[in-house]
Amino acid sequence: MQTRCEAFFRLELPYREGLSLERAVFTGGGAPRVAVVSGIHGDELEGLYVCHRLAARLESLERQHPGALRGSFELYPALNPLGLDTLQRRVPIYDVDLNRSFPGHASGLLPQRLAAAAMEALAGCALVVDIHASNVYLREIPQVRIARAFESKLVPLARRMNVDLIWVHEAMTVLENTIAHSLNERGVPCLVAEMGVGMRVTPDFAEQMVTGILHAARELGALDPALELEPATHVPLVADDGNVHYLNAETSGLFAPAVAHWNAVRKGDLLGTVVSPLRGNVLSEVRSPVDGVLFTLREYPLVYEGSLLARIMRSEETG
Amino acid sequence: MNARALLRMTAPTREDFEIPYHEIGPAGAPLRLALVSGLHGNELNGVFVLARLANFLQQIAAGEREGTEVLGRVRIVPAANVLGLNTRSRLWPFDGTDLNRMFPGCDAGETSQRIAHAVLEATAPAEWRIDIHSSNAEFEELPQVRLYDPSEEERRVARWLGLPAVIERTVTPAASATLASAWKLRGGRSLVIQAGQAGSLQQEHCERLFRGLIDLLEALGVVLGLRLAEPENDVHFFGARQIFPLIAEHAGWFVSRLEVGQWLQAGDLVGYVYDGFEGRLRAELRCPVSGLLAGLRRQALLCEGDLVARVLTRQAFAPAVDTFLDAQGQ
Repeated sequence: MQTRCEAFFRLELPYREGLSLERAVFTGGGAPRVAVVSGIHGDELEGLYVCHRLAARLESLERQHPGALRGSFELYPALNPLGLDTLQRRVPIYDVDLNRSFPGHASGLLPQRLAAAAMEALAGCALVVDIHASNVYLREIPQVRIARAFESKLVPLARRMNVDLIWVHEAMTVLENTIAHSLNERGVPCLVAEMGVGMRVTPDFAEQMVTGILHAARELGALDPALELEPATHVPLVADDGNVHYLNAETSGLFAPAVAHWNAVRKGDLLGTVVSPLRGNVLSEVRSPVDGVLFTLREYPLVYEGSLLARIMRSEETG
Repeated sequence: MNARALLRMTAPTREDFEIPYHEIGPAGAPLRLALVSGLHGNELNGVFVLARLANFLQQIAAGEREGTEVLGRVRIVPAANVLGLNTRSRLWPFDGTDLNRMFPGCDAGETSQRIAHAVLEATAPAEWRIDIHSSNAEFEELPQVRLYDPSEEERRVARWLGLPAVIERTVTPAASATLASAWKLRGGRSLVIQAGQAGSLQQEHCERLFRGLIDLLEALGVVLGLRLAEPENDVHFFGARQIFPLIAEHAGWFVSRLEVGQWLQAGDLVGYVYDGFEGRLRAELRCPVSGLLAGLRRQALLCEGDLVARVLTRQAFAPAVDTFLDAQGQ
């Protein structure tokens, strides 16, 4: 196995410094190539830790099973390095969401150049996993989100990913400028993984995701088919826009959850309360509208009227 | 008072807030025009102009300006992003969402979706709708109308504002969740205006915009007895293939003596780039095309790949880079 870390793109900043995009490439044979990208949003760190854990696994694999890597792994942990290094979700200076700037343009504006460099680097991959970490407000169970247009091609791949949920959502025009849509449009299979919460790392979720990526890579032939991996123990539920319920705050205040994340809930169960920081009273109760599984839960306590508090996937039997 | 609220909401730790608007003109008259600004809280020109315009129309409606009359109803939302304006934030400050990427919104959704829904419902029924923006804090735009796949009628009426440039474009995926796109889906007639630069007021642009809006109100027959702008205003139309972006290939300090609204010849000097640390001259930036300088960089610090100027050309050329990014005002 050959390993190299390199900058694959660089541009000048106003005062002395440059902005570079870095990647690590682990090469056994040539193809297939499996890539993990993260840090498109500068406040999402879970994917960076997944990259670290995956790199550690590949290095360990090389020691214990030399030759097990048949294709190659490419890690792109920080596609928005300025955002990550300055704790901003968007591309600093431009205040642009990098994940609305794809496929980009090599001679365009700075965010477009970052996007174009990523697109060029990822061309030809057999699988790209784009890891997101929700935002600072909501905690998500490890899941893969797939646009309806790519359902038939991507759901079988997503089933290998050891995630708890696959969410097939309807097309949204505004998402056509994401890296995933742009790659899938060009025939590069890209899965959008969501896990954890912004500005934090959830080690268990990272290990779960690493296992899933290794299983998917073995399935694609990037790893020796005879290589034994830890079992992928998570079997995904499959959600769509028809069975996901959104619970939004009825009042502003502080949200205090009454249940743990990733739990079965019954219709009418108390999920939490919104309380006043001034008085001892409860402003509103949050109850489950259906029987189902709580897969999104508010992490940031302060809420405005309308803030998303939870998402529940309705159980089949309750219709 | 004529102030009403589009929406009233509770806030976590302060008093309830609302998004106020003005309703001016005879009760029961058709809603002829809806004006919106301040979807981005740091774009001040539109907010200021609409507040002043509301005051001006209110005086007419109250009979304080002899020989003038408001015939139709006008609905004015100077600032849709009230908290953003009060905290100088482009985005909805609580969660950093762009209100102008939240349309059509939802009355049971996130806070920013509820605001979007309220703005859309209040303005969509008007015969004419106008959304006013001011670029970002880095870039100054010549007051201009932006039309998205317009009708002939929208083209004709855009001229009545008397702003120096009218640009036609098609809606991009990223812009599909804007107020202008939501208006278009509802049918009817709408315009988008860009004027100046975010973060401060540019008095000259504000005056031009104010006069243009008065002219439009008069031409639409909403107000009688006024005409402020010079009738010989020079208005030029440009298509998507006539927008030339000048993009920097060197980083450093950018310095320019130009002003938006100037006409440039091919080869004219736009500005200089100096090395950020050493101070030496790195490049003279010259415009390779002739045309109207419709936008100019006002931020001196320059990255490689930054937009320096936008020039509207007489001749169409091959489709260039789309430099109208999210944070470029709309």
